[in-house]
Amino acid sequence: MPEAPVIIDVQDVSKLFRVGKVEAVALQDANLQIRDGQFVSLIGPSGCGKTTLMRLVADLIEPTSGRITVAGRSPKEARAAREYGYVFQAPALYDWRNVLTNVMLPLEIMGWPKGERRERAEEMLRLVGLEGFHRSYPWQLSGGMQQRVSIARALAFDPKLLLMDEPFGALDEITREVMNFELLRLWRQTKKTVVFVTHSIAEAVFLSSHIVVMTARPGRIREVIEVDLPYPRDHQTRESERFFELTTRVREALRLGKEGEGASDGGHASGGTAVGGSGRTLAKVGH
Amino acid sequence: MARAAADGTRAPAWRRALSGWVAIAVVLAVLVALMYPVALLLGLPLARTRMDNVANWVRATSTPKPLAAAPADPEAGAPAGAELRFGGAESLSTGRSVLVYGDRPVDATYDLEDGAARLRDALAGPLLEWGEALTGPLDTRPSGDVDASPPGSPAAAGAAASNGAAGHVFALPASAWEALYLGGRLLVAGAEEASERADGVLTAFTFPEAEAGPVLVNGQLLLEGEGFEADGRRVELRSPAPFNARVRRVSGDYAVLDAAAGTIALAEASAEAPRAATATLAAVERLVGEVDGVNRVFHLQHAPLVESDPDRRIMLEDVELSPAAERPAERVDGERKAFTFTGDRGVVTVNGVEALEGRDFGRAGPVVTFTVAPPRNAALRQYPDYVVNDPAMGVITLAKAPAPGSRVWAAAYTYYDHPACGSSEIECFLSMPQHPMPFPHWIARRIPAFLTNYPLSDSRNVVRATLYTAGGTLTALALGGLLGVLLAIVFVAIRPLERALLPWVIASQTVPIIALVPVLLLLLGNAGVTVQTSLVPAALIGAYIAFFPVTVGTVTGLRSVDPLSLDLMKSYASSPLQVFWKVRFPAAVPYLFVSLKLGAAAALVGALVAETESNNRLGLGYAIVGQVQAGNVSDVWILLLISAALGIGLVALVGLLQRFTAPWERR
Repeated sequence: MPEAPVIIDVQDVSKLFRVGKVEAVALQDANLQIRDGQFVSLIGPSGCGKTTLMRLVADLIEPTSGRITVAGRSPKEARAAREYGYVFQAPALYDWRNVLTNVMLPLEIMGWPKGERRERAEEMLRLVGLEGFHRSYPWQLSGGMQQRVSIARALAFDPKLLLMDEPFGALDEITREVMNFELLRLWRQTKKTVVFVTHSIAEAVFLSSHIVVMTARPGRIREVIEVDLPYPRDHQTRESERFFELTTRVREALRLGKEGEGASDGGHASGGTAVGGSGRTLAKVGH
Repeated sequence: MARAAADGTRAPAWRRALSGWVAIAVVLAVLVALMYPVALLLGLPLARTRMDNVANWVRATSTPKPLAAAPADPEAGAPAGAELRFGGAESLSTGRSVLVYGDRPVDATYDLEDGAARLRDALAGPLLEWGEALTGPLDTRPSGDVDASPPGSPAAAGAAASNGAAGHVFALPASAWEALYLGGRLLVAGAEEASERADGVLTAFTFPEAEAGPVLVNGQLLLEGEGFEADGRRVELRSPAPFNARVRRVSGDYAVLDAAAGTIALAEASAEAPRAATATLAAVERLVGEVDGVNRVFHLQHAPLVESDPDRRIMLEDVELSPAAERPAERVDGERKAFTFTGDRGVVTVNGVEALEGRDFGRAGPVVTFTVAPPRNAALRQYPDYVVNDPAMGVITLAKAPAPGSRVWAAAYTYYDHPACGSSEIECFLSMPQHPMPFPHWIARRIPAFLTNYPLSDSRNVVRATLYTAGGTLTALALGGLLGVLLAIVFVAIRPLERALLPWVIASQTVPIIALVPVLLLLLGNAGVTVQTSLVPAALIGAYIAFFPVTVGTVTGLRSVDPLSLDLMKSYASSPLQVFWKVRFPAAVPYLFVSLKLGAAAALVGALVAETESNNRLGLGYAIVGQVQAGNVSDVWILLLISAALGIGLVALVGLLQRFTAPWERR
């Protein structure tokens, strides 16, 4: 199986936030490669820089140092070329637009012809299972449905990349599971590269092809774990032995990262952190 | 599921809206109901004052009560046991009455009850002396003489009103008379003044008690069905009574029509002329008090008295007592003790308080010497015959105690009978011409007339004025809204400009518009605008106060966009213009409408003030001031309601606009 091309390349990226006179290191020396078609989850405690990394990739903020390449270009160019769709923690739907026009928003901005816009938006809503809700306003929908609209919107202009920043964080456990299945189905249907930020180990294991474990203060990438559970995944996947092994592994990585950072460093290769198709798991945590 | 929820909420929403209206209606009903006690709370003290002030009382005159029926043979007298009726003597009783003939008490023993006297002993005549018959009827009009005399001339006064139904107007004899009889029956005089004042326009008048009888307007007689239509105590004249005309209604058998011409008007037409009696046997009021040769203090039977009463005649037997007062020749300087009066007898009073001879002063003929000098500038008086000590209680002190057995009686005096407004506080309250706060149903009753007082084509029509003011306010709101939104956009786009301008914008709202309007009117006037008939002042002033809330609201709205939405737009690589039109502006729309609603209410205030100060008679503002000055409380209330309704209507209009332009807000 030939290796898919690298679509996101993060090299030695650090990000400092300055609040008044206090400097906070949100991300330190991150190295990460994500290949086309992968489903990569970023997991870690609060303040480990997951969202920062995502926003850097999306060019919503700029790195203090280091270099990021998205689909072979700088993040700024990638953004201008509309290479990615971003799904935020909150649905960020516009109250004054109904479901259909909310999904049509990016198409409007990109200047699609009116008829195509509509067709495309309807298609996307079908994809996320929201036919028949075109005329509803966001406040009339449940949280899960709102997030589905948000996903449909992110997919509407067919970006190469789907950046999802804890999209199901605000949902209840039951809805969340349903959404996980939906997302997997979508991913396999559209063959997009997905970068997914989550707090939930089970969610990360269930969804991802690769899990990037991050640690906090300063935010670093600790380890990348490949999830070798076969697709399609279903309820049985959650109950399989391998699933438990993997969740345990992620949990351990998180715990180690928290307890003894320096001590565990030695055990890992200090090259580039690549999320590769090779099956080898690499992690590099700072210097 | 969510769809079901959306559908499911629709019907309850409908019901919720309805229950919302019900709640509003209940509050309205409570407020209206509360207006009643408040109206009473404010009005009853005024009614009380009205009642307590004798100036507002109906006056009555106590006069001799002549024989109710003229005896067949007045010279023959009356036998013992005969019953003599006296007209209007119902309030008199045996001990409190005297029978007189002319001004002379008659020696008769009798029992008087219910206006009828039963003689114990025979009474020698005469009982009545006939005078001349009255001339007339003057309002008999030969047929064919219709409209022969010019209207308004004295001759036409009676004639024009009679319209063929003759026999109301008669001329009195020139010589003195005491009573009028028609067909041997006593005629009782009586007329009531109308409650309303004739203003030259009014045609409807009400009378306190009279429910029948002809109406007298100045010296002119009007008959029911010809000169006016009657509905109980309320009459509607065919033509308005002239300004300040005296409008009366004949409540007795007759009333004096024209005192100068000596004419009377009968309540009922008669072909036969009444006859005057120069003297009759009459029952009169006796003064109440011991007549034992010592007592000098007596009570009149009716009080309070009218103090300066030229008609008062107090009699001792057949001698009239003088009501005159004498002043001393000397100045009361506080040191002098001796004063000289013209007469050598009488009651001496110092500042209205009787001084007693022998104790307070000594008398030597006309010279009175006080033991203690009266205070400087004290009112020193000597009443030769009697003094009214206490008009409120009707107390009179005679200078000399009447001899035992002599009769002290009142031939005539005027007193305050009862409050003109009614016998109870609530009656007085109801009859008040203006109330500080009218009952809501009075206001409601007045509304149709108020709205249709003038035709729609007349600029004084209230509906027209309301529309005019609404037009001014909407213009103001449009101007102010536009200015407000533009300023807000500029402020949000260019922050330094906000820092520079915002203090000035705030300062602009601290200028009282009442001071600003005249300046603006001067400027507009000099620019050639006829401010009295122009919408421009209202529009400008309204816009001046309406733009501020719009600016503040829109700035808040434009800044209210959540950061995620902006990030989203950024992720789409959208242009600043797209961010504005697709995110910032729509997000500001709810704020804009809230501030437009505030602005609408403010613009209305501005428009009303501008209209008032520019004397713009076309608008509602002038109407309010006009009605306040005219003192039409009900109309002021109606105008308040109309203004309130206009304000609510304008805000609702903005809300309607919001429904159509921003349907997503419909929750």
